[in-house]
Amino acid sequence: MRKNRTCLFTILLITVFMTSCEKVIQLDLSTTEPQLVIQGNIYDEPGPYVVNISRTVNFDQPNVFPPVTNATVTVSDNEGQSEALTPSTPGNYVTSTLKGIIGRTYTLTVNLDGKTYTSSSTIPEAVEIDSVYLKKSFFGEYLIALNLNNPPNKDNYYQVIHLVNGKQIPGFSVFGDNSDQFESISYSFMTANTIPALVAGDSINVWLECIDHPVFEYFRTANRNGGRSASPANPVSNITNGALGYFNACAVRKKIFIYPVIKKTP
Amino acid sequence: MHKNFFCFIIILFISLQPVFAIPLITVSGYIRDAKTGEDLIGATISVRELSSKGSASNTYGFYSLTLPSGQYQITAQYMGYEPQIQQVDLTQPRKIDFQLESHENALGEVVVTSQRKNDNITKLEMGVQKLDTKDIKNIPVLFGEKDVLKTIQLLPGIKSAGEGSSGFNVRGGAVDQNLILLDEATVYNASHLMGFFSVFNSDAIKDISVYKGNEPAEYGGRLSSALDIKMNDGNNKKISVNGGIGLIASRLTVEGPLVSDKGSFIVSARRTYADLFLKLTKDTTFNQAQLYFYDINVKANYKLDNKNRVYLSGYFGKDVLGLGSTFGINWGNSTGTLRWNHLFSDRLFSNTSFILSNYDYRINITNGIELNIISQIQDYSLKQDFQFFSGTNNTFKFGFNLIHHKIIPGVITASSTVDLKTLTNKFAWENSLYVSHQYSFSDNISLEYGARVSVFSSIGPGNFYTYDSSGAPVDTTFYGSNQFVKTYFNIEPRATFNYILNQQSSLKASYSRNVQNLHLISNSTSGNPTDLWIPSSNNVKPEIADQVSLGYYRNFNDNMYEFSAEIYYKYLQNQIDYKNGAELNFNENVESQILFGSGRAYGLELFLKKKYGRFNGWISYDLSRTERKFDAINNGSYYPARQDRTHDISIVGMYELSKSWILSATWVYNTGNAVTFPSGKYEIDGKTIMLYSQRNANRMPAYHRLDIGATWIVKKTPKFESSWTFSLYNAYGQENAYTITFQNNVDDPTKTDAIQTTLFRFVPSFSYNFKF
Repeated sequence: MRKNRTCLFTILLITVFMTSCEKVIQLDLSTTEPQLVIQGNIYDEPGPYVVNISRTVNFDQPNVFPPVTNATVTVSDNEGQSEALTPSTPGNYVTSTLKGIIGRTYTLTVNLDGKTYTSSSTIPEAVEIDSVYLKKSFFGEYLIALNLNNPPNKDNYYQVIHLVNGKQIPGFSVFGDNSDQFESISYSFMTANTIPALVAGDSINVWLECIDHPVFEYFRTANRNGGRSASPANPVSNITNGALGYFNACAVRKKIFIYPVIKKTP
Repeated sequence: MHKNFFCFIIILFISLQPVFAIPLITVSGYIRDAKTGEDLIGATISVRELSSKGSASNTYGFYSLTLPSGQYQITAQYMGYEPQIQQVDLTQPRKIDFQLESHENALGEVVVTSQRKNDNITKLEMGVQKLDTKDIKNIPVLFGEKDVLKTIQLLPGIKSAGEGSSGFNVRGGAVDQNLILLDEATVYNASHLMGFFSVFNSDAIKDISVYKGNEPAEYGGRLSSALDIKMNDGNNKKISVNGGIGLIASRLTVEGPLVSDKGSFIVSARRTYADLFLKLTKDTTFNQAQLYFYDINVKANYKLDNKNRVYLSGYFGKDVLGLGSTFGINWGNSTGTLRWNHLFSDRLFSNTSFILSNYDYRINITNGIELNIISQIQDYSLKQDFQFFSGTNNTFKFGFNLIHHKIIPGVITASSTVDLKTLTNKFAWENSLYVSHQYSFSDNISLEYGARVSVFSSIGPGNFYTYDSSGAPVDTTFYGSNQFVKTYFNIEPRATFNYILNQQSSLKASYSRNVQNLHLISNSTSGNPTDLWIPSSNNVKPEIADQVSLGYYRNFNDNMYEFSAEIYYKYLQNQIDYKNGAELNFNENVESQILFGSGRAYGLELFLKKKYGRFNGWISYDLSRTERKFDAINNGSYYPARQDRTHDISIVGMYELSKSWILSATWVYNTGNAVTFPSGKYEIDGKTIMLYSQRNANRMPAYHRLDIGATWIVKKTPKFESSWTFSLYNAYGQENAYTITFQNNVDDPTKTDAIQTTLFRFVPSFSYNFKF
């Protein structure tokens, strides 16, 4: 909502004073040593689970991020499970027997070139998706929203991921309820104006993840990355030792929504 | 504590009274505009027989000279007016008022050499810029609006905070470090429409003074500057109307006497109508949009008798942004001041003011349910100022100021439930006491020194928290109504020294300490109306600035040209920045998101002005650096603040082509602000994310722009005046960067682009102005 407010100012003002323009410019940006990026997810449904490790590149290089293939990756939980992940495709390390169980705390350990990176994440209680439906925003455009029933008396954080025809749409949609204690939450996460545009019959697979607070903080601050802040900074990672990225142990529930035929108003 | 101070003052008076054998007699009075009756602020009074003795009229046009008995020729002078001389045989106290006639063609007429003034050499004030309203009327500005804040940004040391922003940075200070006063009331947000216009209608303004950090002791509360704006009192001789109809906005001012020569009023209003253009679009979203702002300035004054005068003034302004009935946001300031001037004697002038100041914003969203968000800051203030004109060139100023602040950080209500969320309101007392003495030791040396004592207390009712190092609250204490939570006591010494080398040149030096107890919490580039002010508290200490400056002033060609060179150094303490990922919106624990550090700023300001002649104008150049130092940022080393700009040049020219045409142009150039750009990139869940390493290690591209304007005076008679003004902003269409953002190339997602947004190129404007 807050983001919408700021967007609204900017949209209204720039449209009114329509003498503005945008163009691509060449900038001479500084470079740094490539840094480590770790992304890992543990779900409360059967695995295998994947941890991906790559490195950053300079701004002017193509978006091909070098995978790290020589790391040692272990995931353990607080009840004695532990597994050393095996490398599969370059940069990916997979589990085989590890199970994600609600309530357990999972610890990720990555050893690379003599340095160790760790992270911990706890799987919260699962929350079911009540329904997924189409609704209209006050701008008149269509949004896809979901309803859920929020467990009372505790802090709840959620991430919504959606895949269109099997492909994940990039973007971070997180929201939380740490003091408002709503009974039911309706969350709009997608407009129908995505590129490529949604057509009737598109299969949208909606995942509702219940995440813990540090993971919520990561995605909340990652969302600001492109924004108009006076002091842009890296997202607040839950991994130690300066690694970028996140480790997310979460409970996930999924629902398929078929994009309906929309009758155009005459 | 306060009683002791008063005793000290009385003893000071008695001990410093010059004891002469010859009796001293006071001549005093008011200096006014002959045609309108407006008090002239800072007009000089000089005595021919005592060549170095003189004085200046105060904010209310009052002057007082205490001289040995004798015969004198007294001259009153003011820029743009004919000087007036009166002979006086001073054997007993006299009241002599001056009514000065203004020059009809102040710009073009060749001013007789002897009338040209060298106030900049002889006046004690340093680091202050005064603006004549005639200066403002002829400079082209954005959208043809004559904008006070945009004009001061053409002066040395004062820089715009960004394209289209009314916020400004003075000597490296942040945008919240400027005290903006309109007839003594604090204005919290001096801009409309996110900074594209300022709230000051130049038709209603009489005098503007900007102090760049070394303000005298009667000002306090902000670190970097004091912008003191005085409104017109209103023509007390006849009714006068002036106004203008323009492309984007229109304005109207009506002034006149309440009782001829005794009282007057002035009402000024201004409104934009940008949304009328929106109604023409076919897009249903935008043709229901509302986008406008308005300002109303109202003032009345009445002279009860020779010793008493009262003034009542008010300002009301609002910005409205809305979309049909579904979304609306409005914000604005309102201020009210009631003042009473009283002459205790012909040497002791007093002013008592009661001031109200309010700033709020309201958001309304109707989307099924109705949601309302309100945030507000409200001040009630009592201000008492005394001026004691002890002798000529020997003036004492003292007084006190009591301000009660109430801040409502945010209340959210929804029609379906009761308060959704209410943040704890914050209350504070900001009280201060000041004493200063202005004294000339000899013909060449004068000194103003003094101190301001400020006492700031955070009070209840409300919850007060203490936090651990990770920002989690560890303790919550509730304080009752008016209970004192934390008090900060500070002494702010001020001193300015002027050494007149000769009638052409002088040297000035000054030192001042300023303390600030209200802090603007904002993490945006240009400042949003939804930014929040918070008071000092148990978690937030007062910000402190110490500034020293040194200047050399020189006039050329019989005061035709004015030149100054000033250097300054400022050290800042308890400066504010935010944690990585700080949550500043509607956060009860916003104090836990703040980091504290220090800063420093230093620079050189050069200024050359041609004051008289058909062609006049000025050039100003700044070379400066402003840096901050925070443990958590850039490993605790000094890094450039966002507002740091190394070179800044402004060139302003006005040329009177003929009696009917005046041309003007301004050219500005500055090297880019410090900014944080990515030093790499990576991918998270398919999205390309920018990698940042050093804060503010990059620079925006250099900015430059030419604005041109012309005024065509169609008719100018004593009964009626009309003119057209034309202006073109960014005349050669330079694509200056408003923001630079980074995203994947639309056609080729394997590449990432830097995208520059430019706001304004070639913006024309015109308006028709009238006066009768």
